[in-house]
Amino acid sequence: MTPDIILRTTNLGKKYRDRWASQAIDLEVRRGDVFGLLGPNGAGKSTTIRMILSLIRPTAGRVELFGRDLHREREKALQKVAGIVEKPDFYLYLSAFRNMQIAGSLTLGRTPESRKVMDTLALVGLAERALDRVKTYSHGMKQRLGIAQALLTDPEFILLDEPTNGLDPQGMKEVRELVRTLSMERGITILLSSHLLNEVEQVATRMAIINRSRMVVQGEVKELLKASANRVLFKLSPPKKSLALLSAMRTVKEPALTEEGIIANVEPKHVPAAVAALVTAGVRVHGVESRHSLEEYFLDITSDNSEQ
Amino acid sequence: MLNLLYWELFKTFAKWRTYIGFIAVGVLIPVILWIMWIEGGDFIKYQLRSLQSEFLITGNLFNGWAIAQIIMNGLWVHVPALIALVAGDQLSGEATAGTFRLTLIRPVSRARFLNAKYLATLLYTFALVAVIGVMAVGLGLWIFGSGDLIAIDREGIVILSEADLPMHFLFAFALAMWSMFVVASLAFFISALVENAIGPIIITMTVIAVFYIITFLPVASVEGIKPWLFTTHMNVWQQALRDPYDWSAILESVVVLGAYDLAFWGATMALFLRKDILS
Repeated sequence: MTPDIILRTTNLGKKYRDRWASQAIDLEVRRGDVFGLLGPNGAGKSTTIRMILSLIRPTAGRVELFGRDLHREREKALQKVAGIVEKPDFYLYLSAFRNMQIAGSLTLGRTPESRKVMDTLALVGLAERALDRVKTYSHGMKQRLGIAQALLTDPEFILLDEPTNGLDPQGMKEVRELVRTLSMERGITILLSSHLLNEVEQVATRMAIINRSRMVVQGEVKELLKASANRVLFKLSPPKKSLALLSAMRTVKEPALTEEGIIANVEPKHVPAAVAALVTAGVRVHGVESRHSLEEYFLDITSDNSEQ
Repeated sequence: MLNLLYWELFKTFAKWRTYIGFIAVGVLIPVILWIMWIEGGDFIKYQLRSLQSEFLITGNLFNGWAIAQIIMNGLWVHVPALIALVAGDQLSGEATAGTFRLTLIRPVSRARFLNAKYLATLLYTFALVAVIGVMAVGLGLWIFGSGDLIAIDREGIVILSEADLPMHFLFAFALAMWSMFVVASLAFFISALVENAIGPIIITMTVIAVFYIITFLPVASVEGIKPWLFTTHMNVWQQALRDPYDWSAILESVVVLGAYDLAFWGATMALFLRKDILS
């Protein structure tokens, strides 16, 4: 394994009785990645993250963190790793400060310095409430405290399982910005799982899609999106006449009438000519949009996979 | 390990439920002493009525040592529930709160984490029994004064001299602590099986009740298993109020109780190391 690989899972899977919750997962997260783990609810993302963080024993396969086998060298493998699984939970009857001390001592083997704890709480805007019991915190504050406890021990790799779950739009934006800051300014490698495609599209550099317990695809976000770069949405009227005209054009592939309009595969260089031909034929053009978003790609991939 | 233990104790003693046992003992013992202060003379006379017809009894038999022995006899029914209240919450409480997701993703081995929790549980048990001992003996002596102790059991009566009683009671509380460790270990084991705080208390008390019933059941078919039930040995502390000590009986009880501790700890460890954290 090259030193650039922070996480590698090989044929990783978890089976409950006769049902695979997660199967044949081969992830590869490189240093510096903001890695998005995408998938619908119940696809197996959380199970995969729990196996990576040793909360769940895999039925098959293996996990390597920083080149160390998680099963054989658990303590060393997790030394530079932090994470939040699903939602951050704490000892509600203790203060944020004490919770941070407990979390830190489990990684460091000693109680972290008070100043370090306070500095980290200040980073997420919780310094003034540090001595309040966590049960008095809002969901957003707990989320920030979760991130603070993850950052306390200066990890090199952080796993965030659905980090924006339950947050309002402002909170979601703050988490996205924090992920970018951690990646860009601190050089922390991040794996975040989400079913929110827009979220992953905005922050991830690489991604994998899990659907129905299996990994469907993995790679650079830009490269994966190229595959759907030619998808174009035509908003035309009348629709049936427009569909017939587009179907007759050699440069337009697989036009299909949808609720939004007509979606077809057209190379960008052929779009102006197609629009001109439609206008000449008396079709009213209300809009033409490129549809190579992650959402389109995700729906393509997961629907193909579902049909198998 | 010491750091882990420190934080486990910190967590344990930061919870309100941990103090319920101490508060209960802190209320019960003074109430018993107060009742004894009012009714105690008659109670002791009633206890000794057959002896008084045969022997000439002089001195202060209604003393702090006698009161402490009465309190110990009475409280050992309730103390297991107070221990289960805390021991049963050690693992199930973390599972319910979801805090395993905070702790078990850290680079600390599950075995060390569990051992720290187990030690914290035993230390809580130690503290509770010690408080009972200090309160029962301390307040008893302060209110009722000192004197010799007449210990009565199925084998006869023993008069323990005032000078030897501190050592006898120290030994009695040490043995009582040893037997309460089994209760703590049982509740700790059950807390690894369930994900709510009430279950371990109910199950622990049920197991103890069933074992006690078997222990006192005068049926030949269960005689063979009685020596192996921990409830048969729970009152081993009474052996410390003998002179001379029956070392073979004490050793047998200590070994059986210790074996239960080891078995419950081992079973908890085996379960916890393989446990999938899904909550």
